[in-house]
Amino acid sequence: MSGDLPGATDAAFRRLSPAERTAACLVGLAHLPGLGPATLRRCHLEHGAEESWFDIASGHHRRVVPVVEQLARMKPAVTDKMLKEASTRDVVADLRRQQQPGWGLHVLGTRAYPERLARDPDAPAVLFTCGDLGLLSRPTVGIVGTRNATLAGRQLAESMAAELARAGVAVVSGLALGIDGASHRGAIGIAADAGPVAAVGVVASGLDVVYPRRHLDLHRRVASSGLMVSETPAGVRPDAWRFPARNRLIAGLSDAVVVVESRIAGGSMHTVDEALIRGVPVMAVPGPPGAPASQGTNQLLFDGANLARNAADVLLAIGVDPHLGAAPPHGSAPPEAPEPTPAELSVLDVLEATPSSLAEVVAATGRTVEEVAHALSTLEIAGRIGRSGAWYEVSAAGRSGR
Amino acid sequence: MLASIPSAIVIGVDGIPVTVEVHVGNGIPGLTIVGLPDASCREARDRVRAAVMAAGITWPNRKITINLAPSDTRKVGSGLDLAMAVGVLVACGELKADNVAGLAFVGELGLDGTVRPVPGVVPRVDAVAEDHVVVPWRSSADAALVSGRTVHGVRTLREVFDALAQESRLWPLHPVPEPDVVEQVVADLADVRGQDALCDALELSAAGGHHLLMIGPPGAGKTMLASRLPGLLPDLDARTAMETSRVHSAAGLTLGGLVTRPPFRAPHHSTTMVALVGGGSESMRPGEVSLASGGVLFLDELGEFPPAVLDALRQPLEEGVIRVSRARFSAVLPARVLMVAAMNPCPCGEAGRPGACRCPDGLLARYRRRLSGPLLDRFDLRVHVDRPAVAALLGGEPGTPTAQRAERVLLARERARERGVEVNSQLGGAQLEEAAPLHIDAENLLKGALTSGRLSARGLSRIRRVALTLADLGGHRGPLLAPQIAAAMALRVDVTGTNGIAA
Repeated sequence: MSGDLPGATDAAFRRLSPAERTAACLVGLAHLPGLGPATLRRCHLEHGAEESWFDIASGHHRRVVPVVEQLARMKPAVTDKMLKEASTRDVVADLRRQQQPGWGLHVLGTRAYPERLARDPDAPAVLFTCGDLGLLSRPTVGIVGTRNATLAGRQLAESMAAELARAGVAVVSGLALGIDGASHRGAIGIAADAGPVAAVGVVASGLDVVYPRRHLDLHRRVASSGLMVSETPAGVRPDAWRFPARNRLIAGLSDAVVVVESRIAGGSMHTVDEALIRGVPVMAVPGPPGAPASQGTNQLLFDGANLARNAADVLLAIGVDPHLGAAPPHGSAPPEAPEPTPAELSVLDVLEATPSSLAEVVAATGRTVEEVAHALSTLEIAGRIGRSGAWYEVSAAGRSGR
Repeated sequence: MLASIPSAIVIGVDGIPVTVEVHVGNGIPGLTIVGLPDASCREARDRVRAAVMAAGITWPNRKITINLAPSDTRKVGSGLDLAMAVGVLVACGELKADNVAGLAFVGELGLDGTVRPVPGVVPRVDAVAEDHVVVPWRSSADAALVSGRTVHGVRTLREVFDALAQESRLWPLHPVPEPDVVEQVVADLADVRGQDALCDALELSAAGGHHLLMIGPPGAGKTMLASRLPGLLPDLDARTAMETSRVHSAAGLTLGGLVTRPPFRAPHHSTTMVALVGGGSESMRPGEVSLASGGVLFLDELGEFPPAVLDALRQPLEEGVIRVSRARFSAVLPARVLMVAAMNPCPCGEAGRPGACRCPDGLLARYRRRLSGPLLDRFDLRVHVDRPAVAALLGGEPGTPTAQRAERVLLARERARERGVEVNSQLGGAQLEEAAPLHIDAENLLKGALTSGRLSARGLSRIRRVALTLADLGGHRGPLLAPQIAAAMALRVDVTGTNGIAA
């Protein structure tokens, strides 16, 4: 069967160890259009990775039952694309690309495959990692939420992640903007003595593709001192369909999933569904009624999700002693804030309902621009509100401070 | 036989005197125009001949040469027609040179002998050295704006011929033409409900000459607010009024008398660079910026303008003039505008509100990237406009009327004049230091903002100027207070900021 391959590739392929051959074929299969994680898993388990690859590469894809069943559901053009791609791919080069220092390639069914995922009903056939796999043997908590989060939500995610990390919990998230990024940042901020950073980033792209670009630094920090996990081969951009698939990995890698902020129909809700399928406890952070960013979490609570007011609630839910962690993070208590003036109180009242612009606060309070601006700047310096672009919003401190 | 008749052409907004020299001699009959005429100017040959014959005067069947001096400047347009016709009549002996002496002529000729208006009558009349100027009757009101000139409005070449045929030069007495200008009605700010903070920003902009950028979703009333801004501005002073009139005349706009109210120009975002800043053809037509000089230039949908066009605005905004140069000519056009711009931050209408905006981050970033930092920096005021609350729209209290705000603007501008500038935005560094000392609280506020990186050194003086205007409007004298500084900072939204999405 390998005689169907071009000579050079063939020779190089023969020099690989049997384990490497399987890995190379799985990487090659993962590159094929129309062949998603579920089909890849079935090819691996039912037909064998090597057989699947060579059957498809030599045009005998009809021999591979899982692929036939998958292609039957798709447009005929996908078959042509898949065959064309398979006939030109050099799987040995694909494998070499994954073999970078610090990177790991784990094939489902082998001993090195992370135990947590091995039990998962939708475990990826091949998993790419970068960093310390030991993190996965710790208790893990997934912290997820909307990309367009409020300041208070981001601050809460960050402090919760930090406290969880301090208690020895690995924080799993997706490296997206908003809540994801904030929770990674919180976990990274707690540098254990020479130990790894308790941040697990599960991404939809190849490990060498940074998405979103704005999180380049965060991406590097998690990869260098935490753990990065992906089922996407190196160099592949995150197509839209890969994000829901990624969400199932977050659910599968977590002992509990905490939703910090989410709208009714958000990507976080997909992670919640995946967690429920796996029997992973779902927790939600309550938000102000009516705030768009908290509609999803409030609905989750109404539907019976566990309440996550702080890290202690989460630790309790996963059975970790909340007092295991060190002293609270703020060793120096924030300076005693002076009593808010009436103007400041009325401004806080407006901002607590929803993030607002200067003009909205002026209209809602009936005060002059100067009064409102002064109150806003005083509150901002005191850390009770934050500003992003034109929008003022209460911080976690401002929300709990009253 | 030789005649030389004074006239003028326009380049940019300036008139340039031109002497039309006509020589009638022996040779093959015909008319030649030399002295760098362009196509429209050379076509005068046929117009002049037809008009002379239509006036009932015999066309001299001789060799006629017309020279337009200075002959190294390109002559564009038909404004020299009348001068050429009179020159031909003098040179061939139909008119006496003495009767024509001391007169300049401006106007285009029709084939039937009518004298038609041309663009730029004001700068042309201003340019000629003669005290008496013959202009098309329709333009006589505009021409009369130039002081120290006696203007004779004429309708036909025959009228000119009849008047110049006698020594007494009896000019026809035509009634002053009715200007067919539609008076620009500026709506009142009292109709604007539930946008008090925006109206304040508008007043601030008018009082201090601070360029204003409004960011907000469609339907928030950005255009409506901007169109009400001219109502807040005081009447143009004599010098600016004359300058604006010259620009409008050069661009061929009907004036209907001296332009005394600040103009409002709102070019569409498909406007080309030449149409915006001026130039283009060899007549160096003034662009929208110059037409708005002394008034308001409103750029709606700022993000849709091509970046190159917007960047061309930076130098004029700083200097107050545009220097347009081409290979052969250069022109200096006025550009003292108050720039007001509007833009939508994103398509969903929530404009990046944290937790509510549904737009992908990339879309927001793409929108912001279109605006260069240096251009954004020119806007002293960058305010966010929201859709007003429903309650305020229906049955809310009417806002402060324009007249009341305009009065405050006038007083604030009076204060600026005491400092030796027209508006606070023109205050230089040293002047600002002297005019706007800081209260200790205000200084601490600024220090805090500078150290935390929320304010740049360049932003600092802009904030101080705006705060000074705020103080002027509030009738406050003495060092600037913290609330004024805070308001100035809050009215300068960071457009390139992360807009609610954590970086």
